[in-house]
Amino acid sequence: MKSLIKPAFVLTVALIVLLEGGARLFFPQGVSGRFDYGYDPDAGFAENADGTVKLFRAGGRRFFPQSFSKERPPGTFRVFVIGDSIPRGPSLQASYAWLLGDELRKNWIPAEAFNLAVPGFGVRRCQIVLDRIIRYDPSLIILHVNYSNEYEDEREWRRTQEFKGWHPRHWLMKLFILRRLYEMKQEQVFWRLVPTEIRQRRAVNDADAEVAASMDAQKMREWSRQVERVTRESADLARRRHIPILLLTHCSVETNPSHGPQLNDFDMDGLGESLAGAGVYHLSMKEVFAGTPNFQSHFTDGSHMKQSGHLILAQAIFHKLQKERLLAGFTPGNLGKTAESK
Amino acid sequence: MSFITWQYFLFLPLIFVLYWQLPPRLRLPLLLIASYFFYACWDVRFLALVLTTTVIDYICGLSLGGRRLKPAWVLILALLPGAWLGVCYLLLTSWGQATPLLIAVAGGLGVAFFAIHEGVWAWGGEKRNKGLLILSVGFCLAILGFFKYFNFFVDSAQNLLGHMGLQANFVLLHIILPVGISFYTFQSLGYVIDVYRRTSPACADFLTFATFDAFFPQMVSGPIERGKNLIPQLEGVGIFQNSYVHDGLRLILVGLFKKVFVADNCAVIAGYVFDPRTALTAPWAILGVVAFAFQIYGDFSGYTDIARGSAKLLGINLMENFRFPYFARNPSDFWSRWHISLSTWFRDYVYIPLGGNRGSQWDTIRNLAVTMLLAGLWHGANWIFVIWGAYHGALLILYRFVPPFTGFMAKEKKGRGLQWMAAALMFLFTLAGWAIFRSANLAQLGQWFAALGHWQAGAVPWQKSALWLLFHIVPLLLLQALTWKQGDEAGGLERLPWPVRGLLYTALLLLVVSSSEQDQEFIYFQF
Repeated sequence: MKSLIKPAFVLTVALIVLLEGGARLFFPQGVSGRFDYGYDPDAGFAENADGTVKLFRAGGRRFFPQSFSKERPPGTFRVFVIGDSIPRGPSLQASYAWLLGDELRKNWIPAEAFNLAVPGFGVRRCQIVLDRIIRYDPSLIILHVNYSNEYEDEREWRRTQEFKGWHPRHWLMKLFILRRLYEMKQEQVFWRLVPTEIRQRRAVNDADAEVAASMDAQKMREWSRQVERVTRESADLARRRHIPILLLTHCSVETNPSHGPQLNDFDMDGLGESLAGAGVYHLSMKEVFAGTPNFQSHFTDGSHMKQSGHLILAQAIFHKLQKERLLAGFTPGNLGKTAESK
Repeated sequence: MSFITWQYFLFLPLIFVLYWQLPPRLRLPLLLIASYFFYACWDVRFLALVLTTTVIDYICGLSLGGRRLKPAWVLILALLPGAWLGVCYLLLTSWGQATPLLIAVAGGLGVAFFAIHEGVWAWGGEKRNKGLLILSVGFCLAILGFFKYFNFFVDSAQNLLGHMGLQANFVLLHIILPVGISFYTFQSLGYVIDVYRRTSPACADFLTFATFDAFFPQMVSGPIERGKNLIPQLEGVGIFQNSYVHDGLRLILVGLFKKVFVADNCAVIAGYVFDPRTALTAPWAILGVVAFAFQIYGDFSGYTDIARGSAKLLGINLMENFRFPYFARNPSDFWSRWHISLSTWFRDYVYIPLGGNRGSQWDTIRNLAVTMLLAGLWHGANWIFVIWGAYHGALLILYRFVPPFTGFMAKEKKGRGLQWMAAALMFLFTLAGWAIFRSANLAQLGQWFAALGHWQAGAVPWQKSALWLLFHIVPLLLLQALTWKQGDEAGGLERLPWPVRGLLYTALLLLVVSSSEQDQEFIYFQF
């Protein structure tokens, strides 16, 4: 009688175990928080022994690769921008975070500005990033407040919880190597080879759910209250640590056939104004662009901006910082350390 | 319950362990309970239909074998489906108000079957046997016809009368198609016909026959087993062998690879191309039909492999259903490689009884045409399937009677180049057939063929999608190249050296997992 366990089976199991063990042993950074979809507080941050902090893409946080010293260099104005795909910009160098750094240095203020915006991040996940970067002694945190990512936050939270749970559906995916392979296939093969038109049509369930949710008035009210509550908490968090925070409330361009392009802030300016106070500042994107001729030409779509739009915003932030005297302690002098991009 | 759900991957090991741990006399009841549970996961009410087919064919088969059941037993068995509906009605709170009516209809049919059966039994001799065969076939086809084809025929009749200028407003019923009804009905019918022809003995044990009719690995999508193959295996007391586990797991892994990696990913492109919203160009039309060819092959042969693997774990051999169909050199060769259990069913129970190829050329043409039209209609209540059947019938006729196609029918080995040419030509014909099969209606089919003339660039570039398709088809072809010489798609792997097998299993497992969350239902469930 043949033995139950055959060499081919043993080899298969051994290979899987080796791959899994190797991944966990040699790439612990990649494994940590990998499937928390932005809810792991430490994912994407690596504190090196030389005192630098490296930002990288991990755990659902698609940070632009950047690095900075753990301790803020004395006399340097350090800015962190947190938000979604809008502040993230078309590229690191074309984002208002980077351009603000340029603007500050152009005006002889030693400054470093970092872009920590991640596409699809709503207020809940932004707050977790904010909580993490407070320890790096920022001179200013810019929180780009947008209302449109609550669905993503909720979905990714559900995924995190699902994967943490022990439902049999996820047993296989408990293995890092298998889950990583699954995600690699999605991101490197499916997203790259299958045209967007096909993917959009296939994503029936998810898209349907999102559309249904966005048309559900009760759900929208719930999310709106959530944006308000979490943004307030984030502002309090910064205020308690005596870190100035600028709430940059988003606006979208809407095309009205009778009146032409209009800017719509979806009442977020009201939220920003209501939260403004000691240590909390508000800048309305609607007000910035309302004074710009042909403002729609600075947008690629209803929400996302071109580099020119980011530049306008960076200059407006700079003027706001001057107006609020937030740069007062930072004397014009030597060029500060620039944000390093890799 | 579908094979590619986590529930099945808990269910199967549980049944496997219980089956081999229980004393032999309890194994069959376990299989029957497991099979009914498996089916009830879709809709518990439709077990009444499975029971109806089982009861009718068990009683008729037994009577055809010359054994008379006591009338009281016939009546009790005939009332089982109605009783099951009654139990469902009592236990399920979500049932509609029509349920008492359904129970009454099921009970009435049971009594009618009992009365007719007793009447036919009184005839005696060959007349009785014919009567019993007609009774069994008539009842089973009536059930199949009602649940699968009622609306189709009513709708078609209404349209026909409309074209003739006559207004008719027939009632269309909201009928849910029970999963796998065509498969288990045909399997059961095949058994009764075999008993009638004395090529298979009647099954005396109701438990065995009920398990044969509802055996969970193959009940909903085949292979359509023959009584003479499956019933003796169910009756026999199996002794566990380690090879059951090896062969079973290998078949399941290959099946998962075909379904999850090949079929579901090819479905991405096929679904887009055959979506009425898509503006087709020639490259997309070709990509779409190639994608569908591998989708349906991976889907159905993957299902069969998982079914065979699951049965093998229980020590039961199910028949092979696919054998490298896209390497067929002519239509006849194709049908001896594609859905073998169905094509042999139609050969044995339709084509040969009609006269096969024993008569004149015109008789053969008629027999081929009728058989393939029925095979097409078996796939679904839609004219598109009838056209698909007619197309394959025409291909069979073309290759049998029209030169130079007749040259490709020769069985003797010819030059390798010619063999490849024949296979390539047959593959093109098969693709055209799949275009018919996948189209929702004649208008869409027309659009697909029209697109073949449009070679200008479309709005969506196709090149990357072609790479996506290759990414999923090439591993399948490589796997087939490895097993081609053995002539067995999954079983052939056993003969490879173990290090190669180990690497291959790892690769297959990783490929399956990489696509694991894009699961889709099996296509053939709808048939």
